[in-house]
Amino acid sequence: MAASSKSAVVLKAVKKIAVQFCPFESNVRSTREFLLFVGSEKARSTNMNCEVITTVKHDKSEPVVDVTFVDGERLLMKGAKLTTREMLSAFQSRCTAKDPQAKAGVKK
Amino acid sequence: MMAATLCGKLLPKQGWLPVTQSVRHGSKAVTRHRKPIHILKQKLLAVTKYVPPTPVVPKGAYPSERQEVKEESGFVLLLKRELKKLFQDYKMVAVAQNCNSNAEDMRILKHRLHRHGIAVKFFPNQVMCSFLSDSVYSNMAPLFIGPTVLFVSKEPKVKEMLTSLRSSPQMTLLGACIDNTLLSAQGVVSYSKLPSVSVVQGELVSGLAMMTAHTASMLQRHPAHLSALLQQYVKQQSSEEAPKAEEAT
Repeated sequence: MAASSKSAVVLKAVKKIAVQFCPFESNVRSTREFLLFVGSEKARSTNMNCEVITTVKHDKSEPVVDVTFVDGERLLMKGAKLTTREMLSAFQSRCTAKDPQAKAGVKK
Repeated sequence: MMAATLCGKLLPKQGWLPVTQSVRHGSKAVTRHRKPIHILKQKLLAVTKYVPPTPVVPKGAYPSERQEVKEESGFVLLLKRELKKLFQDYKMVAVAQNCNSNAEDMRILKHRLHRHGIAVKFFPNQVMCSFLSDSVYSNMAPLFIGPTVLFVSKEPKVKEMLTSLRSSPQMTLLGACIDNTLLSAQGVVSYSKLPSVSVVQGELVSGLAMMTAHTASMLQRHPAHLSALLQQYVKQQSSEEAPKAEEAT
């Protein structure tokens, strides 16, 4: 948790985040914690247009995080066997990869 | 000690005792610094030193067989008593997860729910899980991960709760226990769409009454009508059985 709070989540390049999980399953912990991080005030203040949609299901399906970026790319994370840190690092690496490109393009 | 040694030499005349006697002059037993131990005592201590037996398995390699039973503090017991009362008094207990709601949002939500008689409660997850695993409601335990809020009310007012929760986007309804039945989020939504008990009872009664009224009206007609109907029914039955017998063979 301390490692992920050092670099705050920057959502500037993200259009929509759809999280779906079934709370009665036992493999849901990492997805729920990912949702907490992404839905926190700090993360949401970086981009007010980004929507975070949560769907609570009850069909023993796997927890899935579907991220749609501004440039149309989609990141699908199946959180059944992933830890929160892995999910966050993958997500953040893609965000920062897209973000400085946009910033550098604007500056130039 | 010195007085005893003096007796031999310094008493020339009989009955003479020195005016001052110095007792224990020289090295002291109790010193402020670490007094060097006599070599013999040192050797003795070295020989008789305690050597603890080396464990075959290093500590921490295997988990301990005996489980440490920690006594629960008074606060935890108080919370558990409150939870027990909660589940007995309140018919509806709903669980939601709030990502981030600041005090303002919580205040507005609490006010809205209070108008319908729904209370908002917070309990630590550990206490909650340990209480639930002991009680009947053990299947609710996996719901309590992360920051959770409990909405409790004596009357199951699901529609009002759902409307208030829809206005606050960061609250996610996970499940509810209504009338000792565990419901998922979709179950709660379908429960809210159910008509009230009186309406359902009325529908049931009217349905049954309709059947009996139909039979009564049929009997009240001319008996010839009834016999014609029964003959027709028998013909239909026999015609149905005949093709079935043909299919079987």
